Amino acid sequence: MASANSLEKRLQIAGTLLILGLLIEALCLLWKAPIAFIIFVAIGGSLLGVGVLVYLLSLVSASADNR
Amino acid sequence: MPTFAIVILVLFSAVLAGVVVVRPAITMSRAGKILAFGVFFFLPLFSLVAGMENQMQRSESTAFCLSCHVMEPYGKSLHIDDPAYLAGAHYQNHRVPADEACYTCHTDYAMFGTLKVKLSGLRHVYIYYLGTPPAPQNIKLYQPFNNRECLHCHLGARSFEEGVVHTADPATLPAIKANKLSCVSSGCHDVVHDIAHLNDAKFWKETD
Repeated sequence: MASANSLEKRLQIAGTLLILGLLIEALCLLWKAPIAFIIFVAIGGSLLGVGVLVYLLSLVSASADNR
Repeated sequence: MPTFAIVILVLFSAVLAGVVVVRPAITMSRAGKILAFGVFFFLPLFSLVAGMENQMQRSESTAFCLSCHVMEPYGKSLHIDDPAYLAGAHYQNHRVPADEACYTCHTDYAMFGTLKVKLSGLRHVYIYYLGTPPAPQNIKLYQPFNNRECLHCHLGARSFEEGVVHTADPATLPAIKANKLSCVSSGCHDVVHDIAHLNDAKFWKETD
């Protein structure tokens, strides 16, 4: 149960990061200024990258906890 | 993929991610696990790649280049009503795509040229927002303009290969093709943007 809660918490962190990243990406796609590209890659891309990484790590740690 | 479609995809991904964040317990079932993989891995990466592609294409547009105010005079020079102005003549007669006019001439048609040009573009954005951009009249090319960029379109064209001036001396064409005789700085097509004389110029009015 504790392991399930910990997995859910990690999924929530990953999801929050991904939502923030996706919202930034959507705004940058609508904003037609050169700086939008930098924000898209640097902030949006980083948030998405970290979000995906947290998700993958949560899967790995969950399978390790189940052993 | 159109911008509108990518934005919809990105927002759809965000909504689905929101569902998993609010109710993480749904990932305990097999279907929930598949949903989580799609929402937390596949869709974000696909959105990122599609968005990057869209941003890359946008960075090639004339409007993108001219959105920096230091580029305004160069944009104006595209409308000079004088065929001697190389950039204007190419833009107005659609010898280059009007919506990608800057990129078509100022890209690098060599191997990895696109990557090189995109990195230069990033440098321009950095200087524009975080550095001190030079005054328009002080903007210079990093390297002399390479004939390769002209020959990308003109090589093999009758007007180029059989042009009176180009064929007057048999050594001219090989020298141009070998980039030993520059198209733009040898007293031939040397009036390109000439922004110093914009005040004296007559302008062509583009009809919508």
